[in-house]
Amino acid sequence: MIIDLKKFGTVLVSRPSGKEAWLAFQPTLNETKENEEVVVDFSDIAVLAPSWADEFLTPLHNRFPGNVRLINTDNASIKATLATLAKQ
Amino acid sequence: MDLINMPGKLISIGDASKLLGVSIDSLRRWDKTHRLPSVRNGSKGHRYYRQIDIDVFLRDIVTLAGQWASAEKGITLEQDVYCQTRDIFQARLEKLQSSLQRVVASKATSLLSAIAGEIGNNSFDHNLGNWPDIAGIYFSYDLGSRVIVLADRGQGILTTLKRVRPVLASDGDALKIAFTETVSGRFPEARGNGLKFVRDVIVGNPFSLDFETGNAHLYLKENDRGIIITPEEKYIRGCLAIIRFENLV
Repeated sequence: MIIDLKKFGTVLVSRPSGKEAWLAFQPTLNETKENEEVVVDFSDIAVLAPSWADEFLTPLHNRFPGNVRLINTDNASIKATLATLAKQ
Repeated sequence: MDLINMPGKLISIGDASKLLGVSIDSLRRWDKTHRLPSVRNGSKGHRYYRQIDIDVFLRDIVTLAGQWASAEKGITLEQDVYCQTRDIFQARLEKLQSSLQRVVASKATSLLSAIAGEIGNNSFDHNLGNWPDIAGIYFSYDLGSRVIVLADRGQGILTTLKRVRPVLASDGDALKIAFTETVSGRFPEARGNGLKFVRDVIVGNPFSLDFETGNAHLYLKENDRGIIITPEEKYIRGCLAIIRFENLV
């Protein structure tokens, strides 16, 4: 399973839009097998902030513990956001 | 500043204080930090101000935001700086991101947009359904002066955090906790890392931040290790944030 984040937008900053993305993606996630790897592709994301990420990436990690892999995370705001989430 | 070749009306520091609604001490401090430079006159070197500098300062987006956020009664803002809803803020934030791309590198563009987004959305998160008078935020930027300004007339950080830390007594204590601890005024939701993220980005880059709530003022800049909060005579009813990036190469 690959989640192409840019399909949710390229400026991902608010909690409501993160929560909405998480809810909207549930039907697709429900098709994922229990031990299947979930790849989150950050290609073309211009801005990511912790509020959005906390509503989408945190529950994703909780649902698929150890099976979530993040790729194309070179953007500075993505790196900073992931560092903030890692401190939690 | 030298008075030579400086035509136009000069205003005493006392009159400038009345015009701007701030104390003489504030004007002296602003002179030292070049926020509002004075000109010196006479053998004693008294401070005077050029009328044009006062006029420009009054139109300045930072001043306007501060006046709006501290006014006793909420007043309607011009549409170009007012985001009544989160949707409007998101659209203008994307415009900021697009405009920044033309003047700074991609790293700074993404980080500045992210912290502006985090601060602006924080205002909506903590005041939804509870705005004391004017709903929404002031959001403006001047890429020539390299400054981004956000303000709200919400409940302020002390009121918000008192819900989870009832012993909190001052705006300064609340402001310090907001920038140093993962704590949310929206208990039981597990959140509250937004302003810590803002702090990490500011101290790790050639940016600075003035953040005011109530009568507390925090100033942060690149490489700062601690948090210093000072009292302000002006009372901000919600929050006022000024992000500067003039030191960016």
